[in-house]
Amino acid sequence: MLETFLQVVVNGLMLGGLFAIISIGLTTIFGIIKVVNFAHGEFLMAGMFLTWLFTTKLGLHPYAAVVVVAPVLFVLGGLTQKLLIQPLMNARDEHIQIFATVGLSTAMINLALLIYGADIANTPAYGLRTPLEFGPIRVLEGQLFILGAAILLVIGMELFLRRSRTGLAIRAVAQNRTAAQLMGINVNWIYVLSFGLGAACVGIASVLVAPLYPTSSNIGTYFVLIAFVVVILGGWGSIPGAFVGAMVIGLIDSLSGFYIGADLREAVVFGVFLVILILRPSGLFGTKQKLSHIS
Amino acid sequence: MSRKGFLTSTAIALSLMTGQAMAEIKFGALYPFSGQLALLGEESARGLEIAVDEVNANGGVQGEQIVLERGDAVDNNQAIGEARRLISLAGVKAIFGTYSSSRSIAASQVAELSGIPYFELGAVADDVTGRGLQYLFRTNPTAEDMGELIVQMVVEKVAPSLGKEPGDLKIGIIHEDSAYGTSVAGHQERYGEEAGLNIVTTQGYPASTVDMSSIVLSLKQREVDVVFQTSYQNDSVLFLQQANEAGFEPAAIIGGGGGYSMLPTAEAVGNDVIEGVLDADFTQYAVNTDFTPGLEAFVETYKEKYGETPRSGHSLNNYVGALAILEALDGAEDLEPDTIVEAMAGIDVQEGDTAAGYGIKFGVNNQNERASMMGMQWQDGQLVTVYPDAGAVTEMKLGN
Repeated sequence: MLETFLQVVVNGLMLGGLFAIISIGLTTIFGIIKVVNFAHGEFLMAGMFLTWLFTTKLGLHPYAAVVVVAPVLFVLGGLTQKLLIQPLMNARDEHIQIFATVGLSTAMINLALLIYGADIANTPAYGLRTPLEFGPIRVLEGQLFILGAAILLVIGMELFLRRSRTGLAIRAVAQNRTAAQLMGINVNWIYVLSFGLGAACVGIASVLVAPLYPTSSNIGTYFVLIAFVVVILGGWGSIPGAFVGAMVIGLIDSLSGFYIGADLREAVVFGVFLVILILRPSGLFGTKQKLSHIS
Repeated sequence: MSRKGFLTSTAIALSLMTGQAMAEIKFGALYPFSGQLALLGEESARGLEIAVDEVNANGGVQGEQIVLERGDAVDNNQAIGEARRLISLAGVKAIFGTYSSSRSIAASQVAELSGIPYFELGAVADDVTGRGLQYLFRTNPTAEDMGELIVQMVVEKVAPSLGKEPGDLKIGIIHEDSAYGTSVAGHQERYGEEAGLNIVTTQGYPASTVDMSSIVLSLKQREVDVVFQTSYQNDSVLFLQQANEAGFEPAAIIGGGGGYSMLPTAEAVGNDVIEGVLDADFTQYAVNTDFTPGLEAFVETYKEKYGETPRSGHSLNNYVGALAILEALDGAEDLEPDTIVEAMAGIDVQEGDTAAGYGIKFGVNNQNERASMMGMQWQDGQLVTVYPDAGAVTEMKLGN
């Protein structure tokens, strides 16, 4: 019994790692630009298709694809900000940005359907699906890499935002757009950079996820809801919060799925999510809502 | 009337008559041709097109050539809109479709109200024929047939090959929790209980799940011998992979249609993992052709027309249904809705006389009561028919 319990917990932690790696980009973009990116899942889908192309056409390890996928998604994210979000930044109603990203999401799904069809595309696993056994506990090699990468990415992003000059500028813009502008920071450029950065995080996630999950045009929709839950639970815009939120959701998902029943696990996950939100409306790591976009 | 006038009117009348002999009749082909379901929607429509070509080559229906008017049922709303367009603008005499159950249920409602016959050749949900519609006929097997076949296969084949009594096997049912998976699982439970099977657990999960490890662990802990899964593609892949990785090796896994019949699924999980996995689905191509006369000719025609081999059994099953219906229409007096309904009642094709194996006779709710699925198994990277014996090309291989 104890062995099963440990396995369930480990499964939950691995699931948490997966949720964390796909949520970091979303929370980054929201924390800085205050835009809820509903096309987040489709960025992941695009990254996974790129990884698949890179791996199958060039015969290289999927992780090596990161040198292509992360920069491509950086550019894609930057362009999204520059061409789609920026013109709407000063719209009277900020909800317009939300509709814009929803539109982008639908457009990307249908574009992928057009290019790749409705079938699944399999990225070769290169041994990443090999189960490693620690006593009675089994985990996949690829899952461990995802968890490790999620931890490193959280630390890396935090260091970048707190220590580097650009990072400080980004945080200044996030805290108060107008004041930052008065200090001589090019706010629009920082936004483009930040969206690109968030999208590049999704790029890193996609090379890690692609060898473990078949890619399809609607794969983004599988992950996006849980990413939103994780980010809200952690506190919008908090990167360490997203990590902790992901672990919490992963554990609840795994434990309830086994001990309560697969049929009820979503009810439990979202029930706990609602309770936490009622007790802490700004999320686990959230601070008072920053209103820089209207300042 | 002057003589000249008489000649002229005779000439006009003659030309009208010959004109009528060359006339065309329009039927609607309502399938999802774009969007998420486009691949198998198109595949289904190809079966209908081949049946129409064949009937046209043999003189058409009641001496008239058939023309198919396509309607794109990309979602439920558009299925309704396209059904309206086909009926009122294109003036079709009947609609054939639809592959997707939800589109079929929506569009057939419109046809029923307009009194236009609707022929369903591929959607499996119970509710398609469960609503007591007068003008809807379905030729293909249903969710219920799938549940029934899986249970029969366990009793007649799986248990004997494992050297056990059916009642001694622990059965675990898992299913995606939309109407499709839930209804098949319900039939599996019902037929399973009737057959005295020991079903130890039934678990639903959302089709968009990204993790099934807790389900796998739960089945493993209950020492389940045979797993029934009703699923789409992603969750089929996920379950097979995660079961393998968790070291869960049930004596048999039986999938229901969807993901389990498709080559990309086998590619995703690997041939060694999918080896031996069973599957209930529409008739596929690796089948005993003595039981499915006309199948080889169908595949040849398909290759000629589309330049590739059929991508799934959907085209075959649409072909078989459409052909039987069109032949019956040919024998009717006209194409008025009530004449068509009468003609359908006369269809009586025996099992083993169609390219899909199953016979055709419309019973309660205009459902083809002779429709049945077949049991397939993945062997050496191929999906081969193993059940029933009449359709089998090889023995079922189970156990070590």
